[in-house]
Amino acid sequence: MTRAAILGYAAVPVFAYQRLAGDAAILEHELASSVVLEAMTMSGLGREDVDGVVVAHPGDHTRQGYFHTFLTAYLGIRARASVIQVLGNGMTGGHCFDQALLQVCSGQSQCTLAVGAHFETAVPTSTHLDYSIRLTGDVDFQSIFGAVPIAWYAMDAQRYLYEFGVSRATLASIALKNREHAMRNPLAQYRSSLSLDEVLNARPIVEPLGLYEVPGRADGAAALVIVSEDLAKASGRPYVLVRSRGFEHEGLHQMSDQYCDALNYDTLRQASRRALLKAKLSLQDMGTFQLYAPCTVVEALASEALGLFARGHGADAAQGGATRFDGPSPINTCGGCLSRGHPPEVSPLYDVIEACTQLLGRASERQVARHEFALTASELGKYNAALVHVLQAPQ
Amino acid sequence: MTHRLAEVHMQGPRPFAPRVSGFTQPFWRALDAGRLLSTRCMSCGQQSFPPRKLCRACWSTSVEWIELGSTGRLYSFTRIHVAPQAFRSDAPYAIGIIDLENGPRLMCRLIGEVLPAQMDASVKMLVLRYEDGPLFGATLNLKQDGGAV
Repeated sequence: MTRAAILGYAAVPVFAYQRLAGDAAILEHELASSVVLEAMTMSGLGREDVDGVVVAHPGDHTRQGYFHTFLTAYLGIRARASVIQVLGNGMTGGHCFDQALLQVCSGQSQCTLAVGAHFETAVPTSTHLDYSIRLTGDVDFQSIFGAVPIAWYAMDAQRYLYEFGVSRATLASIALKNREHAMRNPLAQYRSSLSLDEVLNARPIVEPLGLYEVPGRADGAAALVIVSEDLAKASGRPYVLVRSRGFEHEGLHQMSDQYCDALNYDTLRQASRRALLKAKLSLQDMGTFQLYAPCTVVEALASEALGLFARGHGADAAQGGATRFDGPSPINTCGGCLSRGHPPEVSPLYDVIEACTQLLGRASERQVARHEFALTASELGKYNAALVHVLQAPQ
Repeated sequence: MTHRLAEVHMQGPRPFAPRVSGFTQPFWRALDAGRLLSTRCMSCGQQSFPPRKLCRACWSTSVEWIELGSTGRLYSFTRIHVAPQAFRSDAPYAIGIIDLENGPRLMCRLIGEVLPAQMDASVKMLVLRYEDGPLFGATLNLKQDGGAV
């Protein structure tokens, strides 16, 4: 198998683009094409070098259907490998990256674009939620009770606080850490300072989580240029190598109907072990961890599932500074879904871009100390599945 | 043993009514009559919720209808303040995960006040009687002094 590398990347700041009107109005393919051009410029490659295009499904709130072929045509790309659109809940961006890698690793392509644009902010939240209750849970036996997607994480939070005796303030500290990272990230949606009191006294959204412990509405666009390792080396430009991937689906949709521990996020444990084993690396080799975590509790549970911290201690560790960009286990150095912002279908692409930015030493004020490896993870459902990639900056 | 569930009358139609198939019809008819049913695999014995035509544990298609217990324990819950359009008039409303006595686990609407201190408390299952049909729900099983069992 050929090894794949990331030779170019770009993203726009996470923002409410869909709400812009008049002269400022911009459409999803206009934004997506702008990040493709920027990523291609970084790679030094041209349109004729692109063999394949993998597009993250743009969600249900964009007017243009078959967005993948429309965008490929807008860019004037003649593709020889494949042009596809992928969908996988919160893992959509992760699948987009993964499928682009597979095109290159299988030899079908020397250069594939992984690109996505997610627009939703012009759609009222309550209308958006009418749609999203159909995505998580069984529509005939669970969605009937109005379980919005983050309600499932909120139930994890309630159990986490109870079972491990964690305080609200300790859990809330994850939101503060992410905001501090976002304040140093020009791509972040929320860059103003935030206090513990503001987090704890924010209006409730899904108890026990308030406004700052769940993701805001967001639009965004991101692109990655995936090439063979040979092409990356020949370019003479900096690149990031993809060392391995791991995947696990637990065969559940949201929750088990059998008594079990719902907080162990075992799929992430399995997928990360698989990826690290294949890369012949350990957790300690990783310089950053970019984890799909739409709520504070998800970041705590994911950090525990990875094995960074003992069960029930992920939030403690964050409160103690262990997951800050200057701590021993930097997590979500971009600000994560909570403060970088969360355009769901492309958030994992932003996470890969952050890992690359860190690996190449370009993260400026939030730069983690020099490191060679990074881990990214995306999920679907309630970590019913996890997709992990291990990245490397060749020294 | 037959458990007839207590009923709570709800205002208006169900906000997001379930579809009923030929297979799930016995569940909804029984609920309308105050009983909570589901399926059990006749090969491996695993109970399911919701009712399934196929056992996810062993892929057997030999399943039987059984009556579930009317009480359980509250595994977790949340109260939803920012609601879908269809549920806005109900907000804030609570949902919870319930481990029924002798299984299985299910998720449903919670009626009445629920506090974080009442995690793992005993609950009893309910029929929520809407204008257009029933849903199932649960409420805390309170002692005479009002505390949770």
